[in-house]
Amino acid sequence: MNTVTLRRFDLADADAMMSWASDPVVTAFLNREPYEPVEPIAFIRDTVLPHPWFRAICLAGDGPVGEVSVTPTEDRCRAELGITLARAHWGMGVATAALKRVLATVYADLDGVERVEALVDVDNAAARRALEKAGFQQEAVMRSYCVVKGLLRDMVIYSFISTDPLVERTMHVSLSS
Amino acid sequence: MEAEGYVSLREFTEADAEALLEWASDPRVVRFQRRDAYTHVDEARRYIIDHVLPFCRTRGTAPSAASLGYLVARAHWGRGVATRAVSAAAEAVFAEWPWLVRLEAIADVENPASQRVLEKAGFTREGVLRRYVVLKGRPSRDVVMFSFVRGDGEVKPAEVATHS
Repeated sequence: MNTVTLRRFDLADADAMMSWASDPVVTAFLNREPYEPVEPIAFIRDTVLPHPWFRAICLAGDGPVGEVSVTPTEDRCRAELGITLARAHWGMGVATAALKRVLATVYADLDGVERVEALVDVDNAAARRALEKAGFQQEAVMRSYCVVKGLLRDMVIYSFISTDPLVERTMHVSLSS
Repeated sequence: MEAEGYVSLREFTEADAEALLEWASDPRVVRFQRRDAYTHVDEARRYIIDHVLPFCRTRGTAPSAASLGYLVARAHWGRGVATRAVSAAAEAVFAEWPWLVRLEAIADVENPASQRVLEKAGFTREGVLRRYVVLKGRPSRDVVMFSFVRGDGEVKPAEVATHS
């Protein structure tokens, strides 16, 4: 499996973003609202570039195949994660690898953030597995938390605290402790 | 132990600043609140004018979820006042906002009295959320998340009256 890396977006990524932004079947892995297709250049310029923590998910140095963001909330210690991956790259551990990279770096980048939380539909088994494999802990099922496509949905809330142990990368065998 | 007399709810006015200061300045009451205790009636008045009154009149969106919080002056603890106020508030908002489905509240893990208030008012304990809030610049706190979803069962009827 190719190495998953994260980097900042720039406007030149607009075309690549179309691979997940234009697919009507792709809904955001972990976002509460259904993913709204946006005009990529405007989205990168107006939302991504000014955002406190927004990264492109890349495979082995190729162009982006998805996006991941961590957004501080009204409580300084708490930030919310969102991740979207192009459908062609589902089911291969890319999301899990991206999440592990996020957790290894985001706490140093966002001053004061101790908690990264993720809300995911109870029925989104693939997203829940990715979060669990990346080391997130399930805390609660929040009942009737939001409306998605006209239906009330229960959302599971997961968190990773800055002091939680990072999950070792599975492709890597380390002989040192 | 049931409270004597009854608990009613009404909207705030600016004239309530002195009364609000009574509990908003009490460190025991605001212990688990994010903002610092008030020390002067002007802070209480500003809070009502800038935060409470506009908030009451904001009806722009129709969110399916809302969150509830409460404070009771120390002199009135231990008599079921908070439980009755929370029950009355839940009943009122579910009636006034037909779009509301979920009412949620958090209580500090070290505030069992507040957790009991929510449980007695019919809320369901959903789980502990770690490092969820920062209190007054001190280290972050774990909280318990509670919710009351429309259709959860009867909210205890009055002994409480609600009037505007």
